[in-house]
Amino acid sequence: MIKKILINFKRYWFLMTQLILRDFKVKYKRSVLGVIWSLLYPILMMTVMAIVFSQMFRFKVEGINYLVYLMTGIIMFNYFSEASHAAMTSVVDNFLLINKVYIPKYIFPLAKCIFVGINFLLTLIPWLGVIALSYAGLGEYTCHFNINYLLLPYVFLCLFLFTVGVGLFLSCVSVFLRDVFYIYGIVTTIWNYLTPVFYSIEILPTKLQYLMRFNPLYQFLNTTRTIVVYEQTPSLATLGMLGFLGLAAVAIGSIVFKKNQDKFIYYV
Amino acid sequence: MIDIKNVSMKFNLGIEKEFSIKQAFVNFLSPKARKTRKKKEEFWALNDVSFHVDKGEVVGLIGSNGAGKSTLLKVVSGVMKPTKGKVQVNGVISPMIELGAGFDGNLTARENIYLNGAILGYSKKFLQDKFEEIVEFSELREFLDVPVKNFSSGMTAKLAFSIATIVNPEILIVDEILSVGDIKFQEKSKHKMMELIKGGTTVLYVSHSLDSIRELCDKVVWLEHGQIVDIGDTNRICDEYFDKQMGNTKPKKK
Repeated sequence: MIKKILINFKRYWFLMTQLILRDFKVKYKRSVLGVIWSLLYPILMMTVMAIVFSQMFRFKVEGINYLVYLMTGIIMFNYFSEASHAAMTSVVDNFLLINKVYIPKYIFPLAKCIFVGINFLLTLIPWLGVIALSYAGLGEYTCHFNINYLLLPYVFLCLFLFTVGVGLFLSCVSVFLRDVFYIYGIVTTIWNYLTPVFYSIEILPTKLQYLMRFNPLYQFLNTTRTIVVYEQTPSLATLGMLGFLGLAAVAIGSIVFKKNQDKFIYYV
Repeated sequence: MIDIKNVSMKFNLGIEKEFSIKQAFVNFLSPKARKTRKKKEEFWALNDVSFHVDKGEVVGLIGSNGAGKSTLLKVVSGVMKPTKGKVQVNGVISPMIELGAGFDGNLTARENIYLNGAILGYSKKFLQDKFEEIVEFSELREFLDVPVKNFSSGMTAKLAFSIATIVNPEILIVDEILSVGDIKFQEKSKHKMMELIKGGTTVLYVSHSLDSIRELCDKVVWLEHGQIVDIGDTNRICDEYFDKQMGNTKPKKK
């Protein structure tokens, strides 16, 4: 079965690259700065949020570089939110194609997750820039580059898998129930506030702190921050759990998707 | 080679209505009514259809509107899974059902050739090799770098046709001979389609033009109300079909 999947994958890889390329071309069409926006956007977001939370609300996370803390949260949560939303609508958006030509349908959500993922990789450039500037005194405390950075690709890969799983699941459910588009919009807003993107978990009551462990996004954010902001090595248990979260999400998403994909055609 | 065995295809006409709060409420209150309604809204687009297409054979599909011809093409091309029965296809299918599905108006003609080609299942190398041929055939060389949304419908159709017919198909599925564009291109495209069909490949061909069916097909399948009325010799079945249609009598169900 795995062999069959791989053959299929190889056959449709070209289509996948074309879909991703299409998204890129369309995204930056008629914008003067084009791809530079991918670099600029997270910086501007970080600046706005840093001003709002540290100046207006007098928000502080003691003893660490808040700017790096904040930006790590923003780029990772934004990746998840953007990719899962794009993946969710991808099957319904492409129904004209699905109705006319045989294409393995999982290609659409997967292509979206990869497309937003490439954008995410671009946002790492300004992110690394902010970390480098912390040596020059940006954000008070210095975040030192360290050997644990080698673990970051693994953490990001797990986040990617987790997002693909959620995307597959949502794109499938939304075919049958378009309300999911609206519901998920609300869900991500709530999820955003329930994830310590701009605050630190310590300000929460102890009970909530305990519950936070069951928020997968918290785990991804926290592991990255452990490496970058706190300059520590994440425990093996944590790393194992991230892998588990990613694989479990992909497994559940694929099973739900595969079970229902033949029915899509009647609903789109 | 295509082998179609006892294929049935059920549509649920109620699906559009099913997903509203009102309907859910009604269903909740009277599950019985729901069941009968469901039965009423079942529609069998294909009912126990079986036939076989040999390698290199050109098979025509005829029947009035709504007889299930297009559904059958979709089942064979893999877009739909049959409710019952089995379809076995040996070889790569080139569906020529809809032109230009998957064009992105924001992309240029050049970009769309690659995108559309990928959707139709062409490989990168094949597209690179055939790129010139596609452009040449479409007569749109000077507009290659114009976004397709600025094309006239005729130009879009010409481009789509040129991409779709560049294949050396193993199995060709055709829903009507397409002749698009201006008079000159119509002749050219018709000629190209004929060439493809006559080229010795396996073809499943749907048409309302009995003349072209008589000219091209080795064998004809006559569908009516999702069931096969008759299979066999092209001329005999075309005659019978024509008489039935013009005599305005309903064909017998098998």
